[in-house]
Order: sequence, then C-alpha cells, then structure tokens
Amino acid sequence: MNAPTKQYQILFVDDDPDFLAMIRDFFATLGENIWQIHCATSADKAIEFLKGRKMDLVVTDVNMPMLDGIQFLHILNRTHPDLKKAVITANATEEKRSACLAEGAELFIEKPRTPEGLKSIFVMLEELITWTPQEGFQGVLRRVGLQDVIQMECLGRNSSILEIHNLQLRGRVYIEDGRIIHAQAGDMVGEAAFYNLLALASGEFQLQPFELPPKRTIEGQWEFLLMEAARVRDEMIAAATPTGKTAELAPAVESSTAPVMGVHVEETLICSGQGEPLYLWQCPDRDARVALLQNVAQQAARFNQLVPLGNFDRLEIQLAGSRAVAQLKADRMVFVRVSSTREKSIIRIA
Amino acid sequence: MSSSPQEKPAPGATIPGLLACGLRRPDATCQSYSFDEMYPREHLEDMLHQLAGTMTWLAGQGLAPHRLTWTFEQGQIVLIPRMDGALLALATQPNTEAAESVDQLVEEFFSLTPGN
Repeated sequence: MNAPTKQYQILFVDDDPDFLAMIRDFFATLGENIWQIHCATSADKAIEFLKGRKMDLVVTDVNMPMLDGIQFLHILNRTHPDLKKAVITANATEEKRSACLAEGAELFIEKPRTPEGLKSIFVMLEELITWTPQEGFQGVLRRVGLQDVIQMECLGRNSSILEIHNLQLRGRVYIEDGRIIHAQAGDMVGEAAFYNLLALASGEFQLQPFELPPKRTIEGQWEFLLMEAARVRDEMIAAATPTGKTAELAPAVESSTAPVMGVHVEETLICSGQGEPLYLWQCPDRDARVALLQNVAQQAARFNQLVPLGNFDRLEIQLAGSRAVAQLKADRMVFVRVSSTREKSIIRIA
Repeated sequence: MSSSPQEKPAPGATIPGLLACGLRRPDATCQSYSFDEMYPREHLEDMLHQLAGTMTWLAGQGLAPHRLTWTFEQGQIVLIPRMDGALLALATQPNTEAAESVDQLVEEFFSLTPGN
C-alpha cells in the first residue's frame, strides 16, 4: 500500500479578492489536492490565521493597505522563522525585490498576466515547497546576480562556498562568517580569481556548504572587494579585444619580499535609493553620509542637464592619505572610504 | 571672462577625447574651453561654479578633496584644486587618450604660476 501523499498548506495573502479566487481555482486544479490553499485579504488577517496553524508556505503581495508585504515578511521572520515565504507582486521593482529578500522571502515573482505565467509560478512555488533546507542551498531565485548573492551571504554573516562556472572558467568563492576569505578560478587564486569570476558575463552558480579552503588568500572587506570587482569588470570590458573576447587578469602572485600598498576600509555605508541605511560599518555620521550621497545624486543630475554625460556611476574623492567613493546604483547608494597602507599584503594583482 | 574669444590655444586642445576644460580662479571668474559642441562654454562655467560649491561642501563634511572624479557613462569630469584656490576641471571621454593623459594635464596646471 502506498504511503499517503503529503498535503501542503499554502496561505496566499493579497488585498485583491479576484486574484485570490483565480489562484485558488487554478492552483487547486494544478495541485491535484496536494495543495491545500488558504487565502487572506490582508496581512493582519493572515497573522491571525497563522496563530496555531502550521503552513508550509506563505505567498504574499507587497502593496497592501495598513500592513504592507515587506512589513508582513518582517513580522513573519520573527514569529515564524522557519516558514517558507514568497512574494508575488504586480509592481516588481529592484528595490522591492531587495527589500523582500532581505526580509526573508525565498522567492520574488512578478504577478502573471497569462495562464502560462500562472503555470510557471505554480512550478516555482512547488519547487520551493518541496525544497528541503540543508547546509548550503539550491536556488530558485530568478535574475539574481553573483554580486547580489555574495552581498546577501556577507550581510547575513553566512559561511558558504559559491561555485561558479561557465564554458570558459570554473571557480569557487569561499565565504566564512560573512567574510570573503579565498577564491580560485582555473590557475588563479586570491583577488585575481575573485575579480575574474565576477567579471563573467554569464554562467551558473550554486551555493554549497562551507568547508575550509586549502589556504586563505583574501583579506579585504567584502564591500571593497565587490566595488573593486565592479571596477575591474568595467576595465576588462574596456580592454576587450576587437574580437569581443575579454582580457583575463594576470594571476595573483604572493608578495613575499617588498611590501605593497594595501587598503584598509575606514567606513562603509550602503543605503537604499531613498537613503534608508541598509548596512553601516564604522560610519562616524550616518545622516551626513546619506546627505552626501543624496547631494552627489542631485549634483550629477544637474550636470547631466547642462551637458550630455549619460548615467552617473560614481564620484571618487581623493583625500590626504585616503580615498572615498560614492557610487550610485538604481536601487542603492554606496559610500566607502579606504586608506592606503604600506603594510605587507598577502596577495596583490600582478 | 565668460565669453571672451579664445586668444591662445587651450592646453591639451589637441588631445583626442578631451571634451572641455575650464579654470575657476579664486576670484570666481572663469576661463573655459570647449572642444565639443555639446559642451557650450556657458554651461561649463555653470558647472565650474557648482563643482566649486561641491568642493566647499565636502570640505565642510571633513572630506577636503585633493581631486574629485565624477564618472558617467559618456564622460568623466576631474576637478583639481590648487593651493591658491584656483580649480581646474577637465571633461574627457572614457577610454581615450585624453582620459589617459589627465595626470599630465594636471601637472601642467600645477606648473602654471598661481593667478594664471
């Protein structure tokens, strides 16, 4: 006799009753009685419903009156930390995606407009329900870049190995307690390997359980490494040969004799496009730095009104003995100040 | 001297990729050169004044710059203050000879007698 099939309890939260009705009809059919679908038309009703009930998955909208989806996720993270969470929204912006993922959503999807879209979502949610958390995980996140994954791992102070490969290159990035400690790619190790991996235009990656690397070759702060990787990537693209092939960085070499210039991160601030701080490190005056980033954004916009400069990327401020960078992205603003030291670095880029 | 004719060739005028350059003197008068029709001189002077304001503002934040580099998709603006209070601004196209020669142009600027 076959073992009884497990039924999954799924709660959908959306202030649009028509959408909930459609989901209930469509997914109940696709789920063939394996999905037990529950619906709530607001986050507070969902919180009430969840009291004393065990759900396998909660799928929420973002834009809802009173308590929105991001606040709801924040509460769920505290009250039901092990509950799987997904977001389906008609207003899928990068900013909301980042906020939802930061609040613990495993999946962020745009609301479907066609039956095919609904089927795709059903498949993704089914993958998420049946996914068993383990040390290291396989992703069902869509349109997530390497930088995002590394940033999430570092911000979460996680330990993991990011395996990256495409047809040209295969490598690993070791992250321990939120610090990038080693990278290898082909014959390269250290920062050169890291920068080459992050410069790949396409490929696949997987997060694997952490294990100790053969050696530690990277010491810098992850924020600086990611910014430097972005800069190196820009340079590699600029240095691309006429055939379109990207130049490869020289492998890292160990500096065993002469001291080389090292960098020391003095302060870091990462905030949302609206200036809400997301990450702070040794920032002496948060509000002043946010004001600086906003001032830079306004100034860059003014320059663009005067002469055609295109999208603004960053402002580098060369100071006495240190350097600060204010970088503006669509969904976030970053301020990093680093000082140069003459201390011996373990690794330098040849 | 916002709109007086250019009587002598601008430094770096022949360097490919140099879009414009300008000098803001300590008395807030400006001298600017445009090498691209999209960079009209009156706009350059506006920018010079705004850049000077940014320098002052940053200094007030404890970030007195030796050099500012604004990087955009289609251009880079480098701003360098001199001890006498003069400011040099260079606008270059990315990945051009001019972009590579910024340090040399800056050296020329510093070698000029203060007040010039």
